[in-house]
Amino acid sequence: MRESTIMKIHYGTALAAVALVAVHILMRLTMGYAESLEYENVLANYKFVPYAIMLELILILLAVHGFNGLRVILIELKQGPTYEKAVSYGCLAGMVGLIAYGSRTIIMTNMGMV
Amino acid sequence: MPQDERKEGIGGMANPSRYGIERVAYLLMRLSGLGLLAYFIGHIYETSNILRGQVGWDDFMELISGTEGHIIMSIVIAMCVFHTVNGVRVMLGHGGVGVGKPARPDYPYDPASQNYRHKIGIYSAIVLAAVAMMYGLAVMFGE
Repeated sequence: MRESTIMKIHYGTALAAVALVAVHILMRLTMGYAESLEYENVLANYKFVPYAIMLELILILLAVHGFNGLRVILIELKQGPTYEKAVSYGCLAGMVGLIAYGSRTIIMTNMGMV
Repeated sequence: MPQDERKEGIGGMANPSRYGIERVAYLLMRLSGLGLLAYFIGHIYETSNILRGQVGWDDFMELISGTEGHIIMSIVIAMCVFHTVNGVRVMLGHGGVGVGKPARPDYPYDPASQNYRHKIGIYSAIVLAAVAMMYGLAVMFGE
């Protein structure tokens, strides 16, 4: 993929994540901070399907943005065809792994498998 | 001066008095990005504790709800706000917003893109990050 396309994805994921993370943080402030983190409240958040979908979107957006940012930083430090390929595939693997692990939590909790 | 003596390493690179606030913003952007990625990975692990049931969740909440946890969270808030505000500035700059008009390079060759608009953007990002950090501390320690 062209670097210009990757940077457009990088900026797009950033802007979308800012909007969704703002909602995610505001949910913590709808009641007391400590109260919002109580087990029942967190479980209720996960079981509310629109909120669970939003969490999944945040997970994907931030994983793509974060691991692409890491890739950019690592490629700024050192260059070379083998190194760049290793960094790109390593970051892609990290991204997929994190999305899979986070999705597991969201899906299992939403479906009541706790 | 021999070449070896000019090698100041990361300290020389990070020196804000030599390269200006733009270099500081460049470093902070990368450091905050790495910090936020580390936090994000930790947050995904942390929230997976809900699968251990109420006891597992409460145990983990107890671990992160102490003073250290709140201080780490306030640093995360500051990193998040700086990264967001400075990121918007960088995006606008890449889109050609606020970088000045193309002109003939004349002495003293001041780069048109490193103008007061972007400097204000960087200082605003730092100030907003500090304010958000204070607000976060007030919310977390206020309960």
